[in-house]
Amino acid sequence: MDSSSPSRSRRIAPVVAMAAAVALTLAGCSSSSGGKKSEEGAGEASAGKATTPRMTVALVTHQSPGDTFWDIVRKGAEAAAAKDNVKLIYSADPNAGNQANLVQNAIDQKVDGIAVTLAKPDALKDVISKAKAANIPVVGLNSGVSEWKNLGLLQFFGQDETVAGEALGNRLNSEGAKKVACVIQEQGNIGLTQRCDGVKKTFSGTTETLYVNGTDMPSVKSTITAKLKQDSAIDHIVTLGAPYALTAVQSVAEAGSKAKIATFDLNKNLTGAISQGTIQFAVDQQPYLQGYLAIDSLWLYENNGNYMGGGEQPVLTGPAFVDKSNVDAVAAYAAKGTR
Amino acid sequence: MSMAQHAEPAVTTPPAPGRKETDGRTSRRSPALRVLARPEVGVFLGAVAVFVFFLVTAPPVRDGSSMANVLYQSSTIGIMALPVALLMIGGEFDLSAGVAVIASALTASMLSYQLTMNVWVGVVVALIVSLGIGAFNGWMLVRTGLPSFLVTLGTFLILQGVNLAVTKLVTGNVATDDISDMDGFGRARKVFASSFDVGGVQVKITVVWWLVFAAIATWVLLRTKYGNWIFAVGGNKESARAVGVPVTFTKISLFMLVGFGAWFVGMHQLFTFNTVQSGEGVGQELIYIAAAVIGGCLLTGGYGSAIGPVFGAFMFGMVQQGIVYAGWNPDWFKAFLGVMLLGAVLINLWVQRTATRR
Amino acid sequence: MTNDHSGTHGAVLADIPPADADRPLVELRNAGKSYGNIRALHGVDLTVRPGKVACVLGDNGAGKSTLIKIVSGLHQHTEGEFLVDGEPVRFSTPREALDRGIATVYQDLATVPLMPVWRNFFLGSEITKGPWPVRRLDIETMKRTADEELRNMGIVLDDLEQPIGTLSGGQRQCVAIARAVHFGARVLILDEPTAALGVKQSGVVLKYIAAARDRGLGVIFITHNPHHAYMVGDHFSVLRLGTMELSADRDQVSLEELTNHMAGGTELTALKHELAQVRGVDVERLPDGRDLTAPVAEPGEEKA
Repeated sequence: MDSSSPSRSRRIAPVVAMAAAVALTLAGCSSSSGGKKSEEGAGEASAGKATTPRMTVALVTHQSPGDTFWDIVRKGAEAAAAKDNVKLIYSADPNAGNQANLVQNAIDQKVDGIAVTLAKPDALKDVISKAKAANIPVVGLNSGVSEWKNLGLLQFFGQDETVAGEALGNRLNSEGAKKVACVIQEQGNIGLTQRCDGVKKTFSGTTETLYVNGTDMPSVKSTITAKLKQDSAIDHIVTLGAPYALTAVQSVAEAGSKAKIATFDLNKNLTGAISQGTIQFAVDQQPYLQGYLAIDSLWLYENNGNYMGGGEQPVLTGPAFVDKSNVDAVAAYAAKGTR
Repeated sequence: MSMAQHAEPAVTTPPAPGRKETDGRTSRRSPALRVLARPEVGVFLGAVAVFVFFLVTAPPVRDGSSMANVLYQSSTIGIMALPVALLMIGGEFDLSAGVAVIASALTASMLSYQLTMNVWVGVVVALIVSLGIGAFNGWMLVRTGLPSFLVTLGTFLILQGVNLAVTKLVTGNVATDDISDMDGFGRARKVFASSFDVGGVQVKITVVWWLVFAAIATWVLLRTKYGNWIFAVGGNKESARAVGVPVTFTKISLFMLVGFGAWFVGMHQLFTFNTVQSGEGVGQELIYIAAAVIGGCLLTGGYGSAIGPVFGAFMFGMVQQGIVYAGWNPDWFKAFLGVMLLGAVLINLWVQRTATRR
Repeated sequence: MTNDHSGTHGAVLADIPPADADRPLVELRNAGKSYGNIRALHGVDLTVRPGKVACVLGDNGAGKSTLIKIVSGLHQHTEGEFLVDGEPVRFSTPREALDRGIATVYQDLATVPLMPVWRNFFLGSEITKGPWPVRRLDIETMKRTADEELRNMGIVLDDLEQPIGTLSGGQRQCVAIARAVHFGARVLILDEPTAALGVKQSGVVLKYIAAARDRGLGVIFITHNPHHAYMVGDHFSVLRLGTMELSADRDQVSLEELTNHMAGGTELTALKHELAQVRGVDVERLPDGRDLTAPVAEPGEEKA
């Protein structure tokens, strides 16, 4: 007797929902501020298109799903591909073994070039030599600045994570920081650990590492708050990703701390926070540029035999500091999701 | 028919009426042990142990605002652990609970932003979507008869993909846009993500909601027909069906309750952080399940309480934040977390054993 | 039945006009059930009258379970007719059967082992109080009622909160029967109630069957034990391989004949013969009708 009514109401529910949504819209339930309407008007930059023969390039990264950073890399790659008449095949897997399989997959597809990130170089060694054996040019990007030459890649575009960390450490010295908490959102990630290690190297004060659970924002927030409570001497927080910096702003307020926040990487909301002064500065490694240059370089190599960096030196895309003085120039691009 | 005839066999029944201690097997249990056998007592003692431990070893914990922080962390786990526990008592799992939270937040955020509508429209639609996901899980389960582990693993993967793909498709990014300047945001934030002052300490409203939901869940579980049905469908589905318990309705509605919890926590995240990262939430489902199991719910169903998972979530939050408050070497963080949880579970187990051994 | 909050004895019985007292409560006419191309039951007639015990006997796999499932609403018949109070019915859930006063006590007892005794007693038919948003279980009434009903069965429990799984098999059986009777069942289906019980506990259950009959309930007593059946039965149906082998009233059949039918008549003779060859068993001393005259007298006492 009780089972019939819920099933009927379940059937009705979607209809009611649709009707309600429509009714609410008609009833002027629209927001007078913010939203898509205020965003519209920002046009897309478009360049001409190369007339060179169509070629196929695979971009294989170690992106974990839903990471803002990689989204920007991919946009750069797509922009270059569109301009250079390149068909881009994007694939990614955070597991090194799976990433190697994806590279093998690209080789099997007989692509004209491969761009790959070297988060775990050893795992990719074999498959990269297979690509070379198949006469497919391979370039590196993002991670692997110290290994790309050993693996025989043509060129490399990225930021030396340790160098970036060192630069941030120096910057903290000049800001007069005494004690820093470096927030790592994924325990065991080499790139993230290198960033904190770099900070530790050049920073003259004390550096403490703090691990947080990156997939659960409320937990990130509580943990940073707890750290600030536990150690009130902390005067700067360094986060390794833009969303975590924005969360740290809330933690600082909650803990009643005076700590300032610096971060690696950018996004749209972060530029706003920098211009308001709630976040001091960001170290940008220009992910868009990494993606763009990786594809563009393969196109140049294919069509003109060029090497960027002369084939000897990596092309460093960072560290570029974004602070109150230059944030306005960057903000518009960050809003489009390309910086 | 008269009572006299009914009473007749009782008179001649071989096991004579009266105190026969050997009847049944559980006759002699002291009241104290009977209290210890309650599903939530072990976890309560475990939580107290963890709390006292950190009170001693981590001085900042003694501060009121630190406690508020621990409770906040516990509440975001605890609000989801409640429906997950009820579902577990009802004999099922929901592996999609973690990403369902994000799915709900994404729905509300993107709908409001893209259509430039009052955020409450997004909130209401997100509720419907969340309940729909729960109903789908439940419906698939009763329709196919597959184990909930498989059905919800499927939903988990689907949602993970849909979260990402739809966000990318709609916003062009993998995170949603900031909705903090839109109509209705302020009021929604008051409901889902505000804090209030208690003796100079800022306490998050989620803590209040958590305790309110726990009280309601306890009442429903122990004092209503529906609660009886939850125990029954988890304890013995076939028997429950045979005596007229609407098994299908109970199971589907339990999944929808998880949907409700996901919606609430999703709204909290949206109105706290203004934006949502589409890849979040993965792995949280195991923490919810862990809180329920630590809270004394039987993995196989049919046994447990709503108050147990409250302590389970508290224990989780306390350990997670306590390690930071204690200032221990963070490289060992996960190891400490594991050891503390295992220790707490052992206390729980020991209490249960002592209580039932009589 | 859930609406029957008072849950008093015989509340539903009172609905039957006295004139119809002998009208069949449940009737199967040439009924059958096929699962795909497997015919589990075929051409079965069964009539259940108030105050009578209809015994259904049969070996394992004879179709007894299928028969119960049809009457209790778990499955639907695919051939013939199924009538309740003279009108054809087709139950899609056990709830519908319950609402028509047909209660089933299953072989596996239909209890939830981890739940307290009193919750099991009222499971699916809980007594509630209060208006909707705060409608809650009337725990006190339920506990008191359960305790009274169980005392009438001769079971006294210290603690109705103890999980029913801690009771003995006979006690659980009695809880299940007491539950069905309490909820005003007009037709009680008992699926092998004595199968897993010792002699003493079987006796308790049989007496309660007789008591239910005397209160005017129609009882369908499923068993493979002809002795138990003959103690309380008014009508006997023997199933074999999904069809009716025998359908006879008590005065048309003796226990010996019943036992023979159960064992398969000629098959039994053949079996005796085989046993005699194998180990020289004294077949003359194997049980037959004459040895069982004493217990047969018992139901007579009960009726008196």
